[in-house]
Amino acid sequence: MKIAFIGLGRMGRGMAQRILGGGHDLAVYDAISAQAEPLAAAGARAAASVADACAGREVVVTMLVEDAAVLDIASRAGGLCESLPKGAVHLAMGTYGVGAIRTLAAAHAAAGQVLVAAPVLGRPDLAASGQLGIVSGGPDGAVRACAPLLDLMGRRTFHAGPLPESATAIKLANNMLLGCAMVAMAEGLSLVRGYDVAPATFYDIIAQGLFAGSPAYTGYGKTMVDESWDTVGSPITVGLKDANLIAAAADIARVPMPSHNVYRDRLLGAVAHGDGDRDQAVLAREQARASGQK
Amino acid sequence: MKVGLIGLGRMGQGMGQRLLGGGHDLLVFNRTVGKAADLEKAGAKTASTVAGACADRDIVISMVSDDAALNEVALGAGGIRQSLPGGGVHVAMGTHSAAAIQTLAAAHAESGQTLVAAPVLGRPDAAAAGQLVIVAGGPADAIKRCEPAFQVMGRKTAEAGARPEAAIAIKLANNFVLACAIEAMAEGFALVRKYGVQPQVFYEVITEGLFAAPAYKVYGKLMVDQAYDKPGFTAALGLKDVKLALAAGELAKVPLPSGSVVRDRLIGAIAHGDTDKDWAVLAREQGRACGLD
Repeated sequence: MKIAFIGLGRMGRGMAQRILGGGHDLAVYDAISAQAEPLAAAGARAAASVADACAGREVVVTMLVEDAAVLDIASRAGGLCESLPKGAVHLAMGTYGVGAIRTLAAAHAAAGQVLVAAPVLGRPDLAASGQLGIVSGGPDGAVRACAPLLDLMGRRTFHAGPLPESATAIKLANNMLLGCAMVAMAEGLSLVRGYDVAPATFYDIIAQGLFAGSPAYTGYGKTMVDESWDTVGSPITVGLKDANLIAAAADIARVPMPSHNVYRDRLLGAVAHGDGDRDQAVLAREQARASGQK
Repeated sequence: MKVGLIGLGRMGQGMGQRLLGGGHDLLVFNRTVGKAADLEKAGAKTASTVAGACADRDIVISMVSDDAALNEVALGAGGIRQSLPGGGVHVAMGTHSAAAIQTLAAAHAESGQTLVAAPVLGRPDAAAAGQLVIVAGGPADAIKRCEPAFQVMGRKTAEAGARPEAAIAIKLANNFVLACAIEAMAEGFALVRKYGVQPQVFYEVITEGLFAAPAYKVYGKLMVDQAYDKPGFTAALGLKDVKLALAAGELAKVPLPSGSVVRDRLIGAIAHGDTDKDWAVLAREQGRACGLD
């Protein structure tokens, strides 16, 4: 297939390599042109502009960090809406807000194109090995057309339904569950510490019991017990960005989410205390602060 | 060893059978006469009073449902405190409040006895199979004395520390983390449903990914199937446990905002008549809160 890939950060780079490895005709573009070099060396065509990347493509994949970036690249002069052929698909794989996805879907529809939202679950190592979880949302025909690409990038694609925003909702709800799990663990650890229990004793019970097999608990719980949040997987600031997207999605759909609000407030507290760039497991320290512990 | 067992509910029955199977000399008491029949058949002796069940015992185990029952059997007239020989150990294995355990530990100490709090993780089937996880808190030598009994009742004993209430804190915190997971799932399901997603799809995403654990698989499935009528653990019991966790938090000066959310949602579920439903019914309560069916 004739594919373009825009956004070659840590995630996008690995995903684009997988598409290239599948034998597709791939044009790549990133606002920082050096990001395209490894892919060009591997056989992709480094496009000079967004318009150049989109010309004659069946599918353009975007993997950008935030709403503003994807909305800009789609709507600006020489952007996706202007440059993609009619009938082409924009496969938006970043984590965006419901509002942005609705705006994008309408803009592409007006231009005779189709939006498929396909946010991913997993970190750069899984992107590089094609083992991402992918959640797709969009019209059946368009999602089917993207299937060969999704199969190269992910271990499994979960189809959310014909609306792109359905996929967004699943991705955001998954992140929300993770945030609430971290906050609950932080509160649980604080509680047992209040009774002089060694945190590792509590960790062993949850990690070997009801929560055995869940990386959310075994991974972040371990980081909390070891207080090793200076090694950053997902920082507090990124958690807060996503938490705001979740709150906005809840607002639009009229879903009160009290546990999520607790999580968001703890993130704000962590930022206020200077822990914004630390791993989200530092929420355990934020909870400890709130409890007057150490 | 010579063991007294007070409280023969579904948990106590299974634990008693395991003690007999392990060759211990078992003397049992239950307020409701007749509950001891199966254990008598298996070789237990029955006492007609709490005091009788304490006579001559190395340790006395209580497995009663709440603080009121514990205070009655332990601190009432003819209770464990008055009846247990000096140097004896009372092993409280029910889920009680941190405050009740603190009070009881002090009372036993005054009487020259020792309290070990040893709440368990696991349901009656695990008790019957000797597969409980026992969380033990108390002086190390007292816990050591209990080991022969713990070994036949549980698959694992976790030592919480020298304070009995430390074991309570662990047990409550474990249930608390589960309660928060259930509420968070309820919120997640509500959000995706409002965006046209089939609950089963969300269930698969979470249980095949970050949340591939029994807590999410079991309670997520109940939510997808809306199967709240055969409770494993009811909303009423959930509220009791969450309130114990919040009280333990208050006693130790630990704010638990997620726990406060769960408490309020459980109260809402009960207000809507779901008292005796499985506590996964929090998903329905969350649905109500956002105008879904």
